[in-house]
Amino acid sequence: MTALIEARDLTKKYGSHVALDRATFNVEAGRIVGLIGPNGAGKTSALRAILGLTAYQGQLRVLGREPFRERAVLMQDACFIADVAVLPSWLRVDQAIDFCAGVHPRFRRDRARAFLAKTQITPKQRMRELSKGMKTQVHLALTMAIDAKLLVLDEPTLGLDLLARRSFYDALVNDYMDESRTIFLTTHQVEEVENLLTDVMFIDKGRIVLNSSLEDMATRYAAVSVTADRLDAVRAERPFFERRTLGKTMVYFEGADLNRLAEFGEVHTPSVSDLFVAKFSGEAL
Amino acid sequence: MNTFSWLIRREFWENKAIWIVPASVGGLLLLTSLFGKVDIDSMTTTPDIHAVGGMMLFAFGILFFVVMSLYSTWYLMDCLYADRKDRSVLFWKSLPVSDTATVLSKLAMALIVIPLVYFIAADITTLLIAFIISARASALIGGALWHLDLWLKLQELWLYLLVTTTIWYLPVAAWLLLVSAWAKRAVMLWSVLPPVALILAGRWILGSDSLALLLSNRLFTGYGTTAFTGHLGGALAVLSDGGGSSVVQGSVWPLLNPIGFFSSPATWGGAAVGIAFVAGAIQLRLRRSEAS
Repeated sequence: MTALIEARDLTKKYGSHVALDRATFNVEAGRIVGLIGPNGAGKTSALRAILGLTAYQGQLRVLGREPFRERAVLMQDACFIADVAVLPSWLRVDQAIDFCAGVHPRFRRDRARAFLAKTQITPKQRMRELSKGMKTQVHLALTMAIDAKLLVLDEPTLGLDLLARRSFYDALVNDYMDESRTIFLTTHQVEEVENLLTDVMFIDKGRIVLNSSLEDMATRYAAVSVTADRLDAVRAERPFFERRTLGKTMVYFEGADLNRLAEFGEVHTPSVSDLFVAKFSGEAL
Repeated sequence: MNTFSWLIRREFWENKAIWIVPASVGGLLLLTSLFGKVDIDSMTTTPDIHAVGGMMLFAFGILFFVVMSLYSTWYLMDCLYADRKDRSVLFWKSLPVSDTATVLSKLAMALIVIPLVYFIAADITTLLIAFIISARASALIGGALWHLDLWLKLQELWLYLLVTTTIWYLPVAAWLLLVSAWAKRAVMLWSVLPPVALILAGRWILGSDSLALLLSNRLFTGYGTTAFTGHLGGALAVLSDGGGSSVVQGSVWPLLNPIGFFSSPATWGGAAVGIAFVAGAIQLRLRRSEAS
């Protein structure tokens, strides 16, 4: 099985600023991959490159194609939601469906209609008349009606309230995702997607600093909560981050012997958000 | 081709002004002809009336043409900028439509579709006006303003104008398209600034006005002198030539200079520059996904 996305030394520079610094990664089919990193880490640049919206250096293949040169063809098998604000205000819901059906060979009008029938949205409404949450529903309906192999989401729930965010991800998992599809997404809201993801990639200063499936994460990373008296002993095991909690200290390890760590205290598998905090605030250590 | 027709439809959805503006101009002219004062008491002979009719139809056509030029200019400056400004470009680029097709659809709108809309609007308006005025005038003097031959001649003139202006103004349209694809803000300013800067630079550094002359020739005087035997105004002069109006009697073709126009290096030189600008606009469209 070849990878759906293959990036080798993917580099993007804006003048002297290096947004992507020889990023190398693969995304396999059937996975839900989250690209996670602080602001300015290069998430958007990576997505832009994958979607053919920007020129880049290095090698990049998406569905076997070179995105920047073959964007139009690539978009027959890949689709993306950039963020909620991008549907033009003058566009009517039925026009959006007609246009997509007109230009997209894999767009299924009945699916878009069926999805919208479950909402309050009517066909003659214009985007400017819809709330942010409703616009997202329209965009999701358009996207889910496309029989695409790869769906790319860039901060898809930015600016949405909790209910709209929840229903967005519910629809994605329940109505869209199956073995033939792959989702690649970026978000700030790590907590919200961590139950959804099969893989995580952390990006920092344009480099991929962590790339792991969630199954592997359980064996690679460990967090031990230790009491103050054992802190010095546990530090000898070379943790990469520690965080003080009520009365105890959470100490994080990569590639350590779990049995050995158990001697110091209770061992957990850190959650994605814990690991995110550990990786990105751990530089001071 | 199917994708292209959807792109054209899309432009009509977005820019309602494409038909609202010419419809309003036509409506206003119709109102004027319905309720305006028809003062043709002084004219007694049929050729007189035909000359006035011809003048009027011609003037109305020119009015449509001027409004169209202004609208198309605005359209071209806006068309590759507006969707970058509101970021909806990211939605359009998520569909399997090439940037080449997108840019060419905008150019086709400005150079072919919008002129055709105005052409049809002008035709419907002038036909209705000719009938209304004929009906109103015949009550006064019993003569008919409507003259089929004259109307057909004007159609020839408009069609010629449509084809030749499209080719002549291609570089201007393509320049606006290029700026629209490039500018991060102030598209209008960026459309004007570089040509003005070039003219001034030519004047101060090279001590020559040749660039200014080239530009003013392209924008104003060149079209009339290349596409017509006299000036464009010559047509008007002939049409208004009182009783012995040669347009009524003869043909419009002596006024036109198609051979001169299509064999002029200025025509094809300009077109080549236009094609280069369009290619540039496509390249910019490939790379720019946002206005900021």
